[in-house]
Amino acid sequence: MNPADLSFVAASDPLARPARASETCHRSSTAIPGPRADRLRLRKTVSVVALCLCMAVLVGTSTDISGQEPKIRPAADPEGAFKLGDTDKDGKLSRDEFAKLMANNPRVKDNPKAADFLFNRLDANGDGYLTLDEFKKIAELAPKKNSPGKKDFFKKKDQPPPTAAEPKPTAEQVAFFEKQIRPVLVSQCYQCHSEEGKKEKGGLRVDTREGLRKGGENGPAVVPGDPKKSLLVQAIKQTGERKMPPKSKLSDEVVADFEKWVASGAADPRETAKTAQKEIDIEKGRQFWAFQPTKAANPPTVRNIAWPRTDIDKFLLAGLEGKGLKPVADADPRALIRRLYFDMIGLPPTPEDVEAFAKDPSPAAFAAIVDKLLDSPRFGETWGRHWLDVARYAESCGKTANVNYPHAWRYRDYVIAAFNTDKPFDRFIKEQLAGDLLPAANDKEKAEHAIATGFLAIGPKALNERNGLQFELDVADEQIDVTSQAFLGITAACARCHDHKFDPIPQHDYYALAGVFRSTETCYGTIRFVQSQRPSPLLDLPDGSPSAITARLTDKERADIEKQIKDLQERMRQNTDPINNIFPAAQVALLRSRLDSHHADGTPKLLAMGARDKRGFGGGFEPKGPKGGFGPFGGTRTVADSPLYARGEPDKPSAERIPRGTLQVMTKAPLTIRSTASGRLELAEWIASTENPLTARVFVNRVWSHLFGRGIVPTIDNFGAAGQPPSNQALLDYLAVTFTNDGWSTKKLIRRLVLTRAYQLDSSFDRKSFEEDPDNALVWRTSPRRLDAECLRDAMLSISGQLNTEPPTGSPVAQAGEGPAGRPRFGGPGMAAGPNDPRNAHRSVYLPIVREQLPESLALFDFPDPNSVAGERATTNVPAQALYLLNNPFVIKQAEVAADRLLASSGTDADKVKRAYETLFARPPSEKELVVAAEFIDGYTKRVTKRSAWTAFTQAMMASAEFANLR
Amino acid sequence: MTASFSRRMALKSAACGFGYLAFADLAARAAEKEKSPLAPKKPHFAAKAKRVIFLCMEGAPSHVDTFDYKPKLTADDGKPFSGSRFGGGKLLASPWKFQQSGKSGLWISDLYPELAKHADELCVINSMHTDVPAHPQAFQHLHTGSFQFKRPSLGAWTLYGLGTDNENLPGFVTISPPLNNGGPTNYGSGFLPAVYQGTPIGGGGFGPRGGPMTVSNIRNPRQTSTAQRDQLDFIQSLNRSALERDPANPAIEGAIESFELAFRMQKDLPKLMDISSESKETQSLYGIGEQNTERFGRQCLLARRLVEAGVRFVEITSNGWDHHRNLKDALANTTRATDRPIAGLLADLKSRGLLNDTLVIWGGEFGRTPYGQGGDGRDHNHKGFTAWLAGGGTKGGTAVGKTDEYGYEAVETKVHIHDFHATILHLLGMDHEKLTFRHAGRDFRLTDVKGNLVKEVVA
Repeated sequence: MNPADLSFVAASDPLARPARASETCHRSSTAIPGPRADRLRLRKTVSVVALCLCMAVLVGTSTDISGQEPKIRPAADPEGAFKLGDTDKDGKLSRDEFAKLMANNPRVKDNPKAADFLFNRLDANGDGYLTLDEFKKIAELAPKKNSPGKKDFFKKKDQPPPTAAEPKPTAEQVAFFEKQIRPVLVSQCYQCHSEEGKKEKGGLRVDTREGLRKGGENGPAVVPGDPKKSLLVQAIKQTGERKMPPKSKLSDEVVADFEKWVASGAADPRETAKTAQKEIDIEKGRQFWAFQPTKAANPPTVRNIAWPRTDIDKFLLAGLEGKGLKPVADADPRALIRRLYFDMIGLPPTPEDVEAFAKDPSPAAFAAIVDKLLDSPRFGETWGRHWLDVARYAESCGKTANVNYPHAWRYRDYVIAAFNTDKPFDRFIKEQLAGDLLPAANDKEKAEHAIATGFLAIGPKALNERNGLQFELDVADEQIDVTSQAFLGITAACARCHDHKFDPIPQHDYYALAGVFRSTETCYGTIRFVQSQRPSPLLDLPDGSPSAITARLTDKERADIEKQIKDLQERMRQNTDPINNIFPAAQVALLRSRLDSHHADGTPKLLAMGARDKRGFGGGFEPKGPKGGFGPFGGTRTVADSPLYARGEPDKPSAERIPRGTLQVMTKAPLTIRSTASGRLELAEWIASTENPLTARVFVNRVWSHLFGRGIVPTIDNFGAAGQPPSNQALLDYLAVTFTNDGWSTKKLIRRLVLTRAYQLDSSFDRKSFEEDPDNALVWRTSPRRLDAECLRDAMLSISGQLNTEPPTGSPVAQAGEGPAGRPRFGGPGMAAGPNDPRNAHRSVYLPIVREQLPESLALFDFPDPNSVAGERATTNVPAQALYLLNNPFVIKQAEVAADRLLASSGTDADKVKRAYETLFARPPSEKELVVAAEFIDGYTKRVTKRSAWTAFTQAMMASAEFANLR
Repeated sequence: MTASFSRRMALKSAACGFGYLAFADLAARAAEKEKSPLAPKKPHFAAKAKRVIFLCMEGAPSHVDTFDYKPKLTADDGKPFSGSRFGGGKLLASPWKFQQSGKSGLWISDLYPELAKHADELCVINSMHTDVPAHPQAFQHLHTGSFQFKRPSLGAWTLYGLGTDNENLPGFVTISPPLNNGGPTNYGSGFLPAVYQGTPIGGGGFGPRGGPMTVSNIRNPRQTSTAQRDQLDFIQSLNRSALERDPANPAIEGAIESFELAFRMQKDLPKLMDISSESKETQSLYGIGEQNTERFGRQCLLARRLVEAGVRFVEITSNGWDHHRNLKDALANTTRATDRPIAGLLADLKSRGLLNDTLVIWGGEFGRTPYGQGGDGRDHNHKGFTAWLAGGGTKGGTAVGKTDEYGYEAVETKVHIHDFHATILHLLGMDHEKLTFRHAGRDFRLTDVKGNLVKEVVA
């Protein structure tokens, strides 16, 4: 996501930007079980008529219009051309004047219809004259010279048009078409059915002959010689179900003209038209920088050899020197140490830490602190949380049912541990995608591997989807989306309904991946409940795994629950109206889930979310469940290849099966996958490989962005053509290569980055550099950053001394168990104290993350929506944040406890203020600041107690911009 | 210190006091960059409607018992109906009589005696249809144009497009929104900046529905307002000091402004929400003081106060319209609870000259079947239902579109949710195809790639 998209700059004038309908993806309509008449298809088809004519205009631009006349470029200089053409000086161009103007162009001269057609195109109000404004549109008809549209970058050149089998229309037929038919099509139908209108509702286009002949989703619009079979004629007659135009009716004469036209063979002179789609050219796609192998380069030479401390600095400095810029001064040690602590462990340094470093700010001292922080368990909590953003981690299924995932926390803890133990990142990938298929040395490792695959299971799910096949396809789609974006920075899921619009990913490749995930059983648990109709099994963990629930279910409790179930079932039997049974059925499901979560001996079961391969090969993917209902799962039970679904619709499978595999553009040879294996392991190995051009680049870029405030590729989750190119590709590649050479060690990478001189720059402003590089892409300074939501909350807890650094086992969601998420509904338990429990003093990473019910302390400060991959967060500045800081009881409580600590410390009031500055801002106050603080506290104390005054003072410090921002 | 610090004043002091003259144009640029995203913006074209009150009937009210008169349904009561979702339903005549009302002679049932008096203000769309007959999907579809993905809500798009006239208040307020059916998504900002999301009053994200009518963190539990002002002045002095150290950091400037705004908001909003200052007559106009209409009446009056004060978009959710059974009593109850408040709202807006440029929207996520369910109930029906608009440049006293003779399916001038949205945006002066936001490399719209203006609605 481009940060600019989130800034208020982009938002300030929304009305100025034109819509780009052709860029709009239609994933949103894939699962609509209703009519899909207006689904669009890719707009790769190019009307060659239009193209030809536009070419004509362009040719005209490069040659003299005539020997006598001055050079005129209609597309480039419409005013000039208009003036020239307007021979009678009436301020508009008649058809004749226009034809004469265009006749100077050799291409148009040879095609008398061309001028006419262009004229009709341009004459928007159809009054037979072109105003200057109408004429100006000629520039839009002309394609950009030598610059294929971004979306067509990977597309093959147009295929030659299919040869027309129909006889050439007579001049009379052409005249009839041009006079009676074409104007009606243009004025009545183009808006929704043409290239020009940027729409092809119902898949129908009427601006080409092929389009009319082929028709849309309902069949041919025109069957030459047969008006009855021609849907177009039937629609404009408006006698049947389909009525066109939508809100009016054509006159009887016009309808008669169309009938006559079709009956007489529907002569259509627009013969150069074609509707064949352009194919993606994989070879050409491979040329795109992101799909090229990483190139290890030596650091460049720089002029200022004294400045760089590391090779990375040389790459950066070379970039700056190339623009005539230089880095700002080094950071003040206090600002630097505060920045480092928050970046590494998400917590502030103590005043003692700050003072020690201020006394000895040597590189060696800095390196020693870095090593200490890398070893802190708080490191994994901070960096693990960054990964959880990417992994769209949450503890409920979201969407309609939004029921709990009581076992999701295990994946959270796995991620934190992986960062703390510096699990090699390639290993980390393989475990998350295919941990179940990796050999395990012991039970502990086996459990770890199983939990890691929770990555595939914790996504949002529409558990009320009635169509089993649709559900299976949606789950696979979500997995493709998260896998491709998280590891590869590629939006492969865009190719579900059509070839990818920007990247060289044909729909075929999507279904190669879909086969892998559809051959996988996703184990996410959940219970059958209101709106939740698609529970799955969970994975059993070996003994010795930690458990969120420790209490045994006693025999008495079991008997009690069983009795309640029996009573409810009895009540349900007596109900005649099924509607009255919704509530008791929900009760039964909840009670039963309590029984099911314990073994017969009363000990809690050890369960995890995750994935495993389906068994055996064959079956195929045909839905077996009853159509439409919540019958037995209608998806597949075995490993198999998936068909390709036209437009992503489950009822439109191809006959051909797509072999399970990967994205061709990044693959040298197709994967070899055993017939009985899903292919997840092979997929994981393909991703977690130094051969893969994207994996290492994408990850080092993620790490870089957390430390420098901006990615080398600024679109963190999109390295494709719709993303932005790297600001310094040599550096990106250097980092990627070094990272894999270091054994994919995240800690080594982070160490490398923070030890650069660039990381340790000041954040001060420099006008010249700002003018040249306002986004600080070249790193001429440290970008000022706001603390993220977790840092802010944890810092308050840390300063008040209330922070509980002991990681909890489980989560409030795990304690609540199965059932509706968050608040109690339908007799569900709800979380004991809710997501905003002010007594919860654990680190923010351990707060319950329920979809759509995020803790206020996080949601207000731009915690990302856990429904999709979020490699970067927005930074907003809204009054709701200020209200929270001013009035929220949690904040006030932390301020009060922190004030108590201050008051209990020795020294004068001035010493206490000094202590507060050092604790919260990591610097001593200035003389002036001491005075202002003293004035505030004294003035306030006159009204209330001393404690309240100091609380107000501490809270003000916590609410201040200096506290919330890193310099 | 009692004066509040505007951004400009803060900048001025930073500039003069510390000799950052050269900093001025930079500051101006930063200010431009930080220009409030809520500042009023011009629409695409001149339009009557300046603000919206959306009366959302959650649960899907029956159209054939309220605004879609079907004599044939009455005539064929009890006859089998083959087109039903599960097959074999029996047509159920409406238990209520319909009357023609106003000069326009719009058909409205006896369930809305008060509202019927405003028939000539209503533009009733009888030919609404949507994609899915399930509450959560349809409810989100109605609110965001999508049910598959989390998208910005109608109110957020409106606020994004037009800004707000009173920055001391939230620009988009939603009163007692539901927790289910998509919950906060229905007033969320999706990929739009968070500043455009709706502020819930009662219910919604941070409190139970029907709970106290408050906004999260709007009151300080301990300090008096004066004391808090002192504290805020101290915070702002810290912030100005931070700005001196880091003059080009727009985040600090933004913080200065948003604290002032928050403080004004917490001062103004509770006052606005206190309806006791309204006259007895006005209160009783809304049915306040009577048990049935107290709750919704208060909410409608609050809505009027909010739009009057410059809030761009106010939504009120009335729940309990899912009448699978007990139709006769339950529908009578829900309409009774809302009839007088809505009529009162229209009358009050009119008398204050606000109805001309305030668009009032009434509707639910779909309608109900003409065939019965269990003899005294109706099932979900997405193929045809009714919504109405009033004021704000709509054509009053009109019925747009038709369902078939039983009210099962829209057959004439069909209005899909996307068309409905396109029309609402049009009434507000916005072209739904031009109101876009670039996200993840694409320009998104409320109407996706769909939507047609329903011209018949526009006066």
